[in-house]
Amino acid sequence: MLPLSIKDDEYKPAKLNLFVKLSGWFRSILADKTSRNLFFFLCLNLSFAFVELSYGIWSNSLGLISDSFHMFFDCTALLAGLAASVISRWRSNDSFSYGYVRAEVLAGFVNGLFLIFTAFFIFSEGVERALEPPDVHHERLLPVSIAGLLVNLVGIFVFQHGGHGHSHGDEGHGHSHSLFNGSVGHGHGGHGHSHESKHGHDHGHSHGGHGHSHDYPHCHDDHSHTPGKGSSKQILQGVFLHIVADTLGSVGVIISAILMQKYDLMIADPICSMLIAMLIGVSVVPLLRESIGILMQRTPPSLDLSLPECYQRVQQLHGVYNLQEPHFWTLCTDVYIGTLKLLVAPDADSRWILSQTHNIFTQVGVRQLYVQIDVAAM
Amino acid sequence: MACAPNRVRLLCMLSLTFGFFIVEVVVSRLTSSLAMLSDSFHMLSDVIALVVALVAVRFAEKTQSTNKNTFGWIRAEVMGALVNAVFLTALCFTIILEATERFTEPHEIEKPWVVIGVGAAGLVVNLLGLCLFHGHAGGGGHGHSHGGHKKHKNGKARRSEMLEDCRSAGEETNNLVGNHNSSPNGVNTDRRRADVCHSNSLDLQINGNAPYEELENGHDSASQLNMRGVFLHVLGDALGSVIVVVNALIFTFVWKPCLPGTLCENPCAGHQCTDHVENISSAGTNHTMFKAGPCWVLYLDPTLCVIMVCILLYTTYPLLKESALILLQTVPKQIDMHQLKARLQELEGVLAVHELHIWQLAGSRIIATAHIKCHDPTSYMDVAKRIKDFFHDEGIHATTIQPEFVTMNSDSRASLCELSCRTQCAPKLCCGAADTVKQPDGALGQKKPSESKTPMVPGEGSALEIINESVETASRPEAPVIITREVESSL
Repeated sequence: MLPLSIKDDEYKPAKLNLFVKLSGWFRSILADKTSRNLFFFLCLNLSFAFVELSYGIWSNSLGLISDSFHMFFDCTALLAGLAASVISRWRSNDSFSYGYVRAEVLAGFVNGLFLIFTAFFIFSEGVERALEPPDVHHERLLPVSIAGLLVNLVGIFVFQHGGHGHSHGDEGHGHSHSLFNGSVGHGHGGHGHSHESKHGHDHGHSHGGHGHSHDYPHCHDDHSHTPGKGSSKQILQGVFLHIVADTLGSVGVIISAILMQKYDLMIADPICSMLIAMLIGVSVVPLLRESIGILMQRTPPSLDLSLPECYQRVQQLHGVYNLQEPHFWTLCTDVYIGTLKLLVAPDADSRWILSQTHNIFTQVGVRQLYVQIDVAAM
Repeated sequence: MACAPNRVRLLCMLSLTFGFFIVEVVVSRLTSSLAMLSDSFHMLSDVIALVVALVAVRFAEKTQSTNKNTFGWIRAEVMGALVNAVFLTALCFTIILEATERFTEPHEIEKPWVVIGVGAAGLVVNLLGLCLFHGHAGGGGHGHSHGGHKKHKNGKARRSEMLEDCRSAGEETNNLVGNHNSSPNGVNTDRRRADVCHSNSLDLQINGNAPYEELENGHDSASQLNMRGVFLHVLGDALGSVIVVVNALIFTFVWKPCLPGTLCENPCAGHQCTDHVENISSAGTNHTMFKAGPCWVLYLDPTLCVIMVCILLYTTYPLLKESALILLQTVPKQIDMHQLKARLQELEGVLAVHELHIWQLAGSRIIATAHIKCHDPTSYMDVAKRIKDFFHDEGIHATTIQPEFVTMNSDSRASLCELSCRTQCAPKLCCGAADTVKQPDGALGQKKPSESKTPMVPGEGSALEIINESVETASRPEAPVIITREVESSL
């Protein structure tokens, strides 16, 4: 009798299991376009950070070292987005009955929080530098800063054409800050964070897409070739904001360096930082608002107008007395879940009412609906 | 200490910290000490954390459901906890950044006595905050008693109005649920009314009229999360103050600085200064050289900072994980889904259970939804009551049960879902929803299309039909096609 299957998973050594898991994750990353892009950009950013770090150590420039650390900090944002895009594709299990799809919303939210924190930090550093202007050495850092800007621009390009109408590629934030951090670092002996590069998005990446060149039709997920694209919107938005923040930072750094060189305006540096910090803060607000709405179980904004109409239609069904306790919320992008209770007459056809209700709500896009039927007394 | 509610404590601490922040900024300007300025910004971040917690508490008190937020704002506290935890983590990163910079370029503390003074004052403020929040957050034992007092007052008021509501609603609900077994249970109407009333009141929980016990428990554990975030933040700040004071003390007593006017070298300075020093040393070889104090003192500050960061990260991680898990719609850890589902299926009248989802709104408010397959509508009301009671026993008070009735010719396929929820997330999952074998991965539902939509091209449906395992009734071949077309277009 031949064995139908051989289960020797239990006998594999623990190390091999870890390797198998890692290679599984790797394959999953490479499978989806979004995560592939994120992964490659993360590698690019990391290598650039290492190069900057080694250059800084070799040339003993504190500013470069601190800037490379800042870049590492930015890489964590990319890492969070990558992890979320992998995690959100895991299967549902006993502990997560809906699966892990909410991870992307959480990642977008956490990225937004990090950005706000960074903006706050840049602002505080700008204030410090305004009060105590350090001497700025920027000769050595200009090439590094320009290289950082180029890396960021690459990121913007890659993530912009990511595809499905999600306008934001989240490119890595260029580390243009290096220009400033290095110079400032010398003077301060230590607050060299390149926050400069952190400012970013004047794009207003908001999902509404105003001001964005990408149009963001939020129901156009079908354009994407991979079905997973629709769900990555939050992740991509967060990452893109990070990248744009960096790019703007680099640009700001270069501009203020030029201003300082040509016109000897020492005040340009802190003013630039503060301006950029405010820009970052403003641009993050739409992302934060959206993710907070989803996480707080708010009624989906896109259904705000169509839901009352649906309630009307359901209440006009034959046999339905009342519709109570409707709850509609977003699980992840474009996936809506709803529950409601119907008070029906005792002689009503429950099955027909159920299917009709489901139809009505499917037409507005709510696929998962739980309708509780309470039969009224005569 | 008076059992002050959360809000008062937060306001207290907030005003204290903000005042101290102002003091630190002023002192740093007076003494032109940059370290003090950066420390004041740490205080500012503390203020921001307190503001976040305060906002969360204010929002979470509005438990009434609104148009846009049908669950009320209860989740705000979980969000506040998450924001604080993320903020703490980011702060730890920046501290590590600064510490690394200090490692590569150590410098001495200017005016150590001022630093000691301000650091001690900050430590006092932080210890006060720790006392304020410790009872509420960490231990748990204190927390309930404190919270209990406040909630009890509210609870009493609510209880009385709840009973009134109940009595008036009792009639209705009695009719609602009790009618189906009116004949045999005529005698038990009173008890049933009380039961129904109780369960009805519990059902109203989502709309904010939560019964007293639930309110206390729910609020307690949810606000506990939020307060834990604040507590950790204040703890981090206290540790920071301790480090500042210890460092400044050791610096004053151990470090021998280079006095201006005397000839001495500073071997601990960064590389940038070495050329300068060497010039001096080569110039004055005949004089005795004073060396500035032991170098390890300069490295003490970053080392202590790194230790503090480790402690903070270790204590923040559980908070981060817990709030993130709630936001990820996880099943609460005290509930075993498998067992629950098995016991649910054992109930009389329940043929099958599909699409069971249980998740935690905040604290102890747990929400469950499911499809229950039963024989026919008349037996359903009976089963519904039993199911609700079952969930109440488990501690889940907000449930929505969708009934599904067995169709004539599908008795053998009792396990198939008639109105299955087409999850768009399913194609995004790695191998599709592995939850129910009967449900196809494309999540095709079988509806009775009484309102028939315009028939779509059946050609495209064929590819999906291969994936589709459940063809519930052979008499409806178009139904899956139409529905899949829908799914496609909105994906």
